[in-house]
Amino acid sequence: MSDNHLAFIFPAFSNDYNDHPGKNMPGFNGQFNEYLFQAAGLTDPQLAGFNFGDTTFPDDELRTQYVTYIYSCAVSKLLRKSGHSPAITAGYSMGIYAALFDSGSVTFETGLALIRIAYQTLHKSLNDKRLGMGTIIGLCRNDIQQLILQSSLRVEIANQNASHSFVVSGYRDDLQNLLEMATEEGALHTRDMSVNISYHSGFMKEGAMDFARQISNLEITAPETPMISLIDQIFLSNPEIIRKELMRNLYHPLNWLETMQVILEKKVSTFIECGPSTGLARNARFVDGIRFFPLSSMLS
Amino acid sequence: MATITESIRKEVKEIVYSFFADECEVDITQINDNTSIINDLDGDSLMFLELIEIFKKKYQLDIELKVIGKYAVKHPVATIGQLITMQLLIIEHENRLLDIDQ
Repeated sequence: MSDNHLAFIFPAFSNDYNDHPGKNMPGFNGQFNEYLFQAAGLTDPQLAGFNFGDTTFPDDELRTQYVTYIYSCAVSKLLRKSGHSPAITAGYSMGIYAALFDSGSVTFETGLALIRIAYQTLHKSLNDKRLGMGTIIGLCRNDIQQLILQSSLRVEIANQNASHSFVVSGYRDDLQNLLEMATEEGALHTRDMSVNISYHSGFMKEGAMDFARQISNLEITAPETPMISLIDQIFLSNPEIIRKELMRNLYHPLNWLETMQVILEKKVSTFIECGPSTGLARNARFVDGIRFFPLSSMLS
Repeated sequence: MATITESIRKEVKEIVYSFFADECEVDITQINDNTSIINDLDGDSLMFLELIEIFKKKYQLDIELKVIGKYAVKHPVATIGQLITMQLLIIEHENRLLDIDQ
């Protein structure tokens, strides 16, 4: 069944699988394991050791990304198999790879390759730089920009999740300073995201260029489901635009709040978070008109 | 500066209790003033932010979020009772919340 009001949203990555939403979906475990073992054979044998009951790979960024991708692809497959067909697909941050899989633009195998190449090229471009990301809740964009400018911090706003909820990205020591200054300025909450790459910031541009060169031979086709850009909210209609988006997604700031608003303008208001967390659903509480449906309700 | 009446006190308490019961999917009878927002309810800062927005709309409050943030640094909130007390102070003092400490 095609649903004109339905959007599939694919989250970035998560290493918290306590109470993960897929566990109540009929058929989820079988589909997840099928993809998990396929990925283990294709890219990393250690993935086969993953299970939801322990904290496997908690500090391993690449494997965490793989597992989230596998999880999201399993959800996509099940939803589509049961007849759900969204009007729009969107991938939040590194969720872009699962969104491409969902929209029919890349195969499961190509999605895994994109994740691996992105991670490896960005890591290689770090050299000795110590980078990271963080979140600031409770300040507005201008407040954060002022803090960055007044101390000439090598940090950028990487994403806006809600009117007072931001992701920041940059050099680790400056990032720490910014988070402390934000608390003094009146932020309700700050958090270091414990990643080593400053995704969605200009500091990743060199690595992103290398990534673009390395994926030039991978097959990418036009999406069968309209897929929206989190950078400028255009629809990614052909393979060339998608390749450009994949590159820019690594070093250009995103705006998730604006993306949700553009999706709403298209009269699409029912969102399904197709991944292991519910973080995007929680952020959407600040946008009037959006309803996030739990995964389990879609297949019951 | 608003005057906090018994009816406002009761209303704020009811809103906070039902908000957390709903958001955290717990029975409202399991919540009391000593309930820990993080440890017992698995609450987070986004819930706090949402609750502030609810009260800002309901009481048409003139208060910047960062004023609340600065106050919260000096007066951390851990329990439902402390949160209710803070909400009442926000309603009472709005943007002059920080003046309480002077």
